[in-house]
Amino acid sequence: MNPTSRRRRFPVRGIFLVCVLSVGLIPILWTLLASLNIRPNDVSSPPTWLAYPSLDQYQEIGIAEPHFANELLTGVELAAATTLFTVSVAFLAAYSLARSRFRGREWVVQSCLIIASLPVIAYLIPLSNLLDSFRLSDTFVGITLAETALYAPLAVYVLFGYVQGLPIEAEEAAWLDGARPLETLRQIVLPAAAPGLAATAIIVFVLSWNQVLIPLLLATHIRTVPVALIDFFTFERELDWPTAAAALIAALFPIGAFVALAHRQLEKFTLALTDQTDL
Amino acid sequence: MLTRRHRLLFLAPLFLILIPFLFIPALLGLIASFTNYAPYQKTDLHAVGLANYAHILADPDFRTAIRNSALFTIVTVTLELSIGLLIAVALRRPFRGRSLVRLLLLLPWLISPIANGVMWHFLFNTENGLINFLPAVLGLPRPPSPLNSGLALLAAMSIEIWHQTPLVSFLALPGLLTIPSAQWDQAALEGLSSFAQMRHIVLPRLRLLLLTIGLLLIGNALGTSESISILTGGGPGSETMTPGLYSYRQAFQAYDWTGGATAAWLITATLLIVGVGYLVSVRHLRVPQ
Repeated sequence: MNPTSRRRRFPVRGIFLVCVLSVGLIPILWTLLASLNIRPNDVSSPPTWLAYPSLDQYQEIGIAEPHFANELLTGVELAAATTLFTVSVAFLAAYSLARSRFRGREWVVQSCLIIASLPVIAYLIPLSNLLDSFRLSDTFVGITLAETALYAPLAVYVLFGYVQGLPIEAEEAAWLDGARPLETLRQIVLPAAAPGLAATAIIVFVLSWNQVLIPLLLATHIRTVPVALIDFFTFERELDWPTAAAALIAALFPIGAFVALAHRQLEKFTLALTDQTDL
Repeated sequence: MLTRRHRLLFLAPLFLILIPFLFIPALLGLIASFTNYAPYQKTDLHAVGLANYAHILADPDFRTAIRNSALFTIVTVTLELSIGLLIAVALRRPFRGRSLVRLLLLLPWLISPIANGVMWHFLFNTENGLINFLPAVLGLPRPPSPLNSGLALLAAMSIEIWHQTPLVSFLALPGLLTIPSAQWDQAALEGLSSFAQMRHIVLPRLRLLLLTIGLLLIGNALGTSESISILTGGGPGSETMTPGLYSYRQAFQAYDWTGGATAAWLITATLLIVGVGYLVSVRHLRVPQ
């Protein structure tokens, strides 16, 4: 650390980060406390805390939403299937694009990003009718395919940058040895691209886990956690805040734990690769 | 090299999924917006010109939605990019626990848009809410609820910024770390101000990345519907209506399928215009200086 970078005595960076962490985390902590039945009493002045810590609110989830455990499971299954499918399809396409030379390739890759930024609501209404006519609405397969189409363009964009950054020499050696394309793909490209694939898979998993419009509008029996959370919040049911807070924490916990475990891999996720490529 | 046949074979699965589940629905939306098509209704299908557009544009709710969407997109995307970049810069130099801080800062992004709406609806509430606590501690009078008239759109924008900014800082940090440390040392020797460092070191290096993230954020902002539908339900009145929420309501609650599809198609059209701007900017920025 050179002395000039320590020139400022006033720890601007530290204070800024503490502020950012507070703004980011206090709302979640507030919700966590409420889910444990620790709430402020704003009526008295100055406000006091009403602390009757208990886990009863988490049991209340089961009363308000009897199939909550099922919905958690469906959410995991759907996100896992979507992730597997999206990453496989996108990896094949990204590899094909990265190893092709044709005019307009840049245009195709950048179009993937534009398609990736199209919000699902923009085409969801016709999609719901189309899925009906394919007889795929309210089926696990239909929902998985719709979510794959939603997330594959982003995965192609990310993986294209990643695959293009891989050295091509090992592949060329395999070609000379007479390896077939699928063999080369499995034995050489796949291991080399594994960190990028893992990072992309985590992002797709999180996006799919939190996706609500597709399961809400294309299915009635396939219910995921965000769909269930809507039920926790309807004006008619008048659910109290601690129970809703418990449901929010129960919905956040699995994905938070997953991302914490996969954190090392996730740090390899980057959109910056377009800088280095010679598109 | 891969043969042409194999390259096409590897691309095929992507297109087999995108064509029926994305391209055709988007195209159907476009076609439907110029006809009287409505599913489950046996009527003579015929072109109606711009009647569907005239119909929804005559609806004051939709006009409010367009205005809100423009304001919402410009304000949230600008603030998300700038605050997210500042956070990434603050995390640039290693310190103990940086990895943990980075993970904790990502937490708001892991909350689903629905959960975000539910959570903030209660946090903005006047009883037991977060927003009343601090003024009460300081002995100040109770502030008006942010979900009241006049403030609701601001509240919706705030929770969107709270939700998306973590992703920007998470994606910008690896880009920042590719800047050679010699460049920072040079800047320190020259005594460049923080502002000058941002302008002469960070922005030239990260502009393509920021453009990429910006496009994704714009798409997200244009489609905003889930969090707002829970937070305010589009209200008070139609104060926080968005085109996404409007099209959803028309198609699935008001049974005006064509109106809903037309409103939704306008989101696609807007995004395509933004996309052309993106392509032009990428081409422009790639030109070596």
